[in-house]
Amino acid sequence: MSDARIEGYARALFEIARAEGTLDEVEDELFRFARSFESSDALRNALTDEMVPADRRQGIVESLLGDRATATTMQLVSMVIGSGRGRDLPEIIDSLVARASRSKDLEVAEVRSAVALTDDQQTRLAAALANATGQQVNLKVVVDPSVIGGIVATVGDTVIDGTVRTRLDQLKSRL
Amino acid sequence: MNIYGLVAAGGDIDPSESVHWLWPPAAELIYGGIASLIIFSLLWKFAGPAAKKGMADRTARIQADLDAADAAVTGARQEAEEIRRAAGDIDAERSRLLAEADAQAADILSDGRARIETEVAELEARAAADAASMGDRLGDELRAEIASLSAEVTQRLLAETLDDAAQQQMIEDFIQKVGSSS
Repeated sequence: MSDARIEGYARALFEIARAEGTLDEVEDELFRFARSFESSDALRNALTDEMVPADRRQGIVESLLGDRATATTMQLVSMVIGSGRGRDLPEIIDSLVARASRSKDLEVAEVRSAVALTDDQQTRLAAALANATGQQVNLKVVVDPSVIGGIVATVGDTVIDGTVRTRLDQLKSRL
Repeated sequence: MNIYGLVAAGGDIDPSESVHWLWPPAAELIYGGIASLIIFSLLWKFAGPAAKKGMADRTARIQADLDAADAAVTGARQEAEEIRRAAGDIDAERSRLLAEADAQAADILSDGRARIETEVAELEARAAADAASMGDRLGDELRAEIASLSAEVTQRLLAETLDDAAQQQMIEDFIQKVGSSS
């Protein structure tokens, strides 16, 4: 899909969420769903297979998000999947998150950790990242067991990597 | 009657009437002798040179034949000599060709040996290089395999040994490290 079309979908979703007054919540739920979508081959294949009828794919979305996300989030994802744009869902959501962050003068900080962060840790990490980058950040935490331990934070083009996975890769490369 | 009389008589004279059966009459003997002299003189004068010339020509012809035979003998001898010389040349040529063939064979043999030795040396060097390369490659593959296995084992050990406290400690260390850098 072209960038203009992705931006168009992102802007539409952003305006709907903002009109509903649930932008922060929807943005966070969409972000987490996008990461799950990226990391799960089975989910991605199920939602992007054009041989599967649109209503069936939308049914999968509803069964996944029905009791775990707001109705707005579920409806937005269902709309994108039903329109056959499932493959572009992560890019659309990332664009929406970036747009939402800009509306609040924030920079998106994607944080990957092997375990979930407490609210206190997220607050302190956001402050630390703001101190390190000089920008207020919109923290998006992704629990990613593949990092094994530690945290990797991406703010714009800056990557701060303190994961065990990276150290292991360096050790393997050195060996 | 003598023989002339008999001829003149046309055969009608009886031979018993002759004076002498052998000797003619004197007169007849005289003019007969004179006529013979005249005839011999004429023959000597007119036929002699022709006969002498014929004899000289015959002598010359015989001499020419003798010279030709002599020349033929000489030519035959020269030809025989040339044949003998040619036979000698052929022997020398054969010897030269044999010597040349021997030399060429020796050169070919020498070149062949040198080439074979060079090829053998190259093959040995290539085999040694291949063996060394294969050894290096196997060593690299083995090291890579060991590194991969080591990393895998380390990862599993870490995953098993990283408890929640260790995870929290790493998170806190990261926050502190990022917060202290500006």
